[in-house]
Amino acid sequence: MRRILRLTALRVRRQFLDWSGTWWFTITLVANESLVPLAGLFVWSAVFPGDPRVVSYFAALIAVQIMTASYENHTFSETVYQGTVSHELLRPQPVVIGPIGENLAIRLWMALFGLPPAVLAGFLLGATYRPADLLLALPALAGAAVLRFLYTWILALTAFWTERVHAVVTFGGMLMALLGGAVAPVSLLPGPWRTVAQALPFHAMLGLPADIAIGAVTGPAAVAALGRGLAWIAAFTVLAAVVWRSGARRYTVVGA
Amino acid sequence: MRKLARLFAAGFSMSLRRTLTFRTNLLFDVALAVAGLLSSLATVLLVFTHTDHLAGWTRPETFMLVGTYELLTGVKAAFLDPNLAWFPSRGIREGTLDTYLLQPAPSLFLASLATAAPLALVQAVLGLGVLGLGVYGHPPSPLGVAAWLLLVLAGAAVTWALGVLLACLAFWAPRLELDVFYNAIWQLARYPVGIYRRPLRLLLTYVIPLALIATTPAAALLRGPQPAALLTAAVAAATATALAATAWRLGLRRYTGATS
Repeated sequence: MRRILRLTALRVRRQFLDWSGTWWFTITLVANESLVPLAGLFVWSAVFPGDPRVVSYFAALIAVQIMTASYENHTFSETVYQGTVSHELLRPQPVVIGPIGENLAIRLWMALFGLPPAVLAGFLLGATYRPADLLLALPALAGAAVLRFLYTWILALTAFWTERVHAVVTFGGMLMALLGGAVAPVSLLPGPWRTVAQALPFHAMLGLPADIAIGAVTGPAAVAALGRGLAWIAAFTVLAAVVWRSGARRYTVVGA
Repeated sequence: MRKLARLFAAGFSMSLRRTLTFRTNLLFDVALAVAGLLSSLATVLLVFTHTDHLAGWTRPETFMLVGTYELLTGVKAAFLDPNLAWFPSRGIREGTLDTYLLQPAPSLFLASLATAAPLALVQAVLGLGVLGLGVYGHPPSPLGVAAWLLLVLAGAAVTWALGVLLACLAFWAPRLELDVFYNAIWQLARYPVGIYRRPLRLLLTYVIPLALIATTPAAALLRGPQPAALLTAAVAAATATALAATAWRLGLRRYTGATS
């Protein structure tokens, strides 16, 4: 386990340095992640003018989006298409360490570039939070970061079966935006949809940390939501292992 | 001009034949277009469960706006994105542009419109369906339809010009990939411009005129032709096109080639 952690830390460091030369591209990624919640902010501010929770929710959501962004369909799936994943398969270490390292490095850069403007925008627009709620939102944020990686990773693994991994991940992103709280806070969904959205993993990936940060989900409801998130993490971990094993068996490559 | 139209048709025909060879991909693209549209409609329906007006737009009016947005998004995805996506890396750094410069056709045309992703037009067709949904029961005047058509054409010209202008930046900064940014900011055109606060609204109206993509044409369909809007759109389209052509020429002067 220590060896795995050391290897992951090394990979994060290497990728962090690699990405240091593409700071402008990182800023465009931050803009890309921020614009859906930003549009949500303006839409729902027009619907509920003067409601401070709308601004607080979407400002927190922008931060969650930036800190949980996952691009395994670009970083990993392309290596399947180009055949370079073979190099990783030959190394005496789990292949997933590479994508995890790159994922964390990208998130670090995105947080460096994206969080200061997000905090400033939240401050200027009048977002307010209670410190206790923010503290409670931290485990939810950590869970969202793990869950969103696992979700994107599983979708990215479909590259072993199809050339349209980007379409698969885009579709997955749509579900996440609709049912996860990016298009609208889950509490604003109509009754049955709200229940469905709370039971599915998307809320734990995106909206839950923001809901906890603004105090919309507290006490036993927050604990239950965190528990559901943990259950989804366990389920996705098992699923990722199964899909990986099956995909790696299917993978064939020609040439050196 | 006729030669360019023939080239455009030939490029589209080749792209269509190439696309239809891979039937499973076709299925994926159609499913994705339908899912994207349903997602847009779900958002609109959700908003209107909490209000009757969104920045002064009713539900059928918003459908008209979303339909117009989906129409132009489909056109952009079909004709602009397959050519200009990743232009800095493919066109400039890997030198694909060199092959365009050697061919007997305007390089700007070849770089920005030579190939197509015909299946993306499914989104445009679905957009027209949503537009029909909005118009149903509120038929617009013939003049309104004519103004809408003109404004959509102006919007398409601005869309093309903005794509070219962003791609042209790569002549000066080859590592600057702005199409992710363009696609991101494009999504803001999905809603009435009136919902955005003043600085952003001014930016989306005058600097990056995304208001022309959906809000202005849909407003023309609803309220009939507004001479000021038509004139502004024509000026914006002409200026943006001229700027794009000039930036391309200046960029080419600076370009030194990436291949031998």
